[in-house]
Amino acid sequence: MALYSFSSARFCTSKFPICFHIPKPSKFPFFSNRSISFQKVPTKSPLPLQSSSTQLQPMEEFPPKLQEIIKLFQSVEEPKAKYEQLMFYGKNLNPLDTQLKNKENKVEGCVSQVWVRAYLDEDKNVFYQADSDSVLTKGLAALLVNGLSGRPAKEILRVSPDFAVLLGLQQSLTPSRNNGFLNMLKLMQRKALELLIEAEKGNGSSGNGQIENDNSEKPVENSNSDSKVDENSGVRFGSRKSNEDSSNGLGGRGMRIKEKLERELSPIELEVEDVSYQHAGHAGVRGSDGETHFNVRIVSKEFEGKSLVKRHRLIYGLLDEELQTGLHALSIVAKTPSEVEAN
Amino acid sequence: MRKTMTEGVVVNLPSFPFLFHTVSPSSSNCRLGFRRFSASLSTAVKEGSVSLGHSTRPDFPILHQEVNGSKLVYLDNAATSQKPTAVLRALQNYYEAYNSNVHRGIHYLSAKATDEYELARKKVATFINASDSTEIVFTRNATEAINLVAYSWGLSNLKPGDEIILTIAEHPSAIVPWQIVAQKTGAILKFVNLDENEVPDMEELKEMISERTKLLVVQHVSNVLGSVLPIEDIVIWAHTVGAKVLVDACQSVPHMVVDVQDLDADFLVASSHKMCGPTGIGFLFGKSNLLLTMPPFLGGGEMISDVFLDHSTYAEPPSRFEAGTPAIGEAIGLGAAIDYLSGIGMQKIHDYEMELANYLYEKLCSAPNIRIYGPKPSDNIHRAALCSFNVENIHPTDLATFLDQQHGVAIRSGHHCAQPLHRHLGVNASARASLYFYNTKEDVVEFIRSLNDTVSFFYAFK
Repeated sequence: MALYSFSSARFCTSKFPICFHIPKPSKFPFFSNRSISFQKVPTKSPLPLQSSSTQLQPMEEFPPKLQEIIKLFQSVEEPKAKYEQLMFYGKNLNPLDTQLKNKENKVEGCVSQVWVRAYLDEDKNVFYQADSDSVLTKGLAALLVNGLSGRPAKEILRVSPDFAVLLGLQQSLTPSRNNGFLNMLKLMQRKALELLIEAEKGNGSSGNGQIENDNSEKPVENSNSDSKVDENSGVRFGSRKSNEDSSNGLGGRGMRIKEKLERELSPIELEVEDVSYQHAGHAGVRGSDGETHFNVRIVSKEFEGKSLVKRHRLIYGLLDEELQTGLHALSIVAKTPSEVEAN
Repeated sequence: MRKTMTEGVVVNLPSFPFLFHTVSPSSSNCRLGFRRFSASLSTAVKEGSVSLGHSTRPDFPILHQEVNGSKLVYLDNAATSQKPTAVLRALQNYYEAYNSNVHRGIHYLSAKATDEYELARKKVATFINASDSTEIVFTRNATEAINLVAYSWGLSNLKPGDEIILTIAEHPSAIVPWQIVAQKTGAILKFVNLDENEVPDMEELKEMISERTKLLVVQHVSNVLGSVLPIEDIVIWAHTVGAKVLVDACQSVPHMVVDVQDLDADFLVASSHKMCGPTGIGFLFGKSNLLLTMPPFLGGGEMISDVFLDHSTYAEPPSRFEAGTPAIGEAIGLGAAIDYLSGIGMQKIHDYEMELANYLYEKLCSAPNIRIYGPKPSDNIHRAALCSFNVENIHPTDLATFLDQQHGVAIRSGHHCAQPLHRHLGVNASARASLYFYNTKEDVVEFIRSLNDTVSFFYAFK
């Protein structure tokens, strides 16, 4: 018979902030505080698969939280209870802002919808947020979010998806387009890499011109104290090759953006470029009038004294109506006149 | 001690004998009321005393296995069907005994392969009552067959302003090729919506037909809604304005008698893998006078008459549309599948499935908070033996995952290649259970039981 290991210490360490939510006893037998004691049945080996597979990554290389999670799942032998544990993780995931549920953050290959978003804190550790409409995939996403958040990008990039086997959730690891779990992990790792590259390049000029990196951001100054509403995906630092005639071919929305920014921020320089064509074909773009992605370069006195995040928040606030009606993403370069002169 | 998860519902885990579970002996008997038949019994039993499902099951070796510790209950037949040993043997025999390229050789093996290949074509023609086997073009699958009509007939017959009528329930294989061709030719696509029974609205369709209509593309049986359209009537309405009708019969040919002469369809497509045949082969039926006017689709060997450097002349249909070496073994396998099905009788299969369809629908209705898409079965409205459904507040992927992992029940979740339809119904995805003649009432019972268990599990968690 399978019994469960129930060491409260494991669940309620400071490393597991989410586990402080103690559910009502009647609903969660797994976490009930009934007076029943369980003892751990010694299993055949701690990692039964390691002997057969030579490729499994050693536990020590995983982020510590992930190790805890893996051990937790291994101690739970009964599949149904594993699912309950998974769903419990999912339940405690912070909801993701609707604005962040966009194409750049969507995990491909999931039959359900899954979004993942990443950002860096002051210490250049990667933090994740995720959401899904299916409770099981939300659980998987939460597992990854909890296991990987707060770690440096390099450590996250080293994680091989094989660990999923250790969880005993019968997760397929076939690298097919339909493997949601694998794609989730890959997306998280890709975002971590992008954040790493951004961070290493420093403020301002990245110059790699990749539109797909819209989701990464680098709020280097006191970012964590800001609410997550500030840190919108689709914002990216980096100078683009500037267009001399920035109003060339701007449609209605492009003109509205320009007018708004001109009126409210009195910029000394303003360029608005419609790059929706680079995203044509995305599911998010279909059905809109085509004006979905823009590059904005703006130099204004209004930005003096404001952190980069605050500048972006300002711009997003002004363009809120556009964002509600089909504007998908902005790539913003926002500088003060003195910063431009210094360069 | 394992505790119950919701008030009053005992969690049963028959696949984990080493766990505590409280199962009263009598209840487990009703719940798992399988009647077990040995293989020899199926041949000895008189007709009528054993259901079709039970008598044919032994012919399908793949069904007799365990999945994730539970007996496999395969309810994803609308996606693909299983193959009887007769078909497997035919394939094996082809490769073992007479594999050879067709139409080209003079030697014995080649002649035999050619005979069998052409015999398979005749079998298909007879199966759907085409007037001649030259009206059957072998393709890779139904999707390729529709593309054939789109690129060959469509490109040479459609002009700007011409209209093509489809329903919003069509499969992308029926929609996308016409989107592509419409773009190239300037034709316009029009879509029929669902009526209050969640069936394509025939009144709307009638009204949409005009002299500008050149083609109607309709599913005979919907793979999501389970509805059956009145093809004979649709063809009559279309022909009065000189429009052609392309029937997507993927979900109908495997399950019921389909007679292209009765229907008077201009084009009809189906896939082998949904009718007990192998993958990699399907067919297009086209009326002779239509095929004769159509230019080639793919170019290559077999479809040519004479090849010069600056031009070529083309073969007569069906060869005109069969470029390159065909899927010979697969065609012969399809022929064997048709023999198998004909041996049972399509009417018998249809009647049995109607019974099972009603049973499934009835039982599914009793599940908590469930919404089944498509029409309610009644005297006038027949449903196919499939149900797409959603349970409130539970994502279909979760349902399907749990059913598979904990109960070995295979259903499908997703949009079933019908995104516009799902959008119309206001959902992202649904779950779907689809039956075939080798499913039994016990399969349905097990499915419902597992579904209830699954729903309880997820509801308890919330």
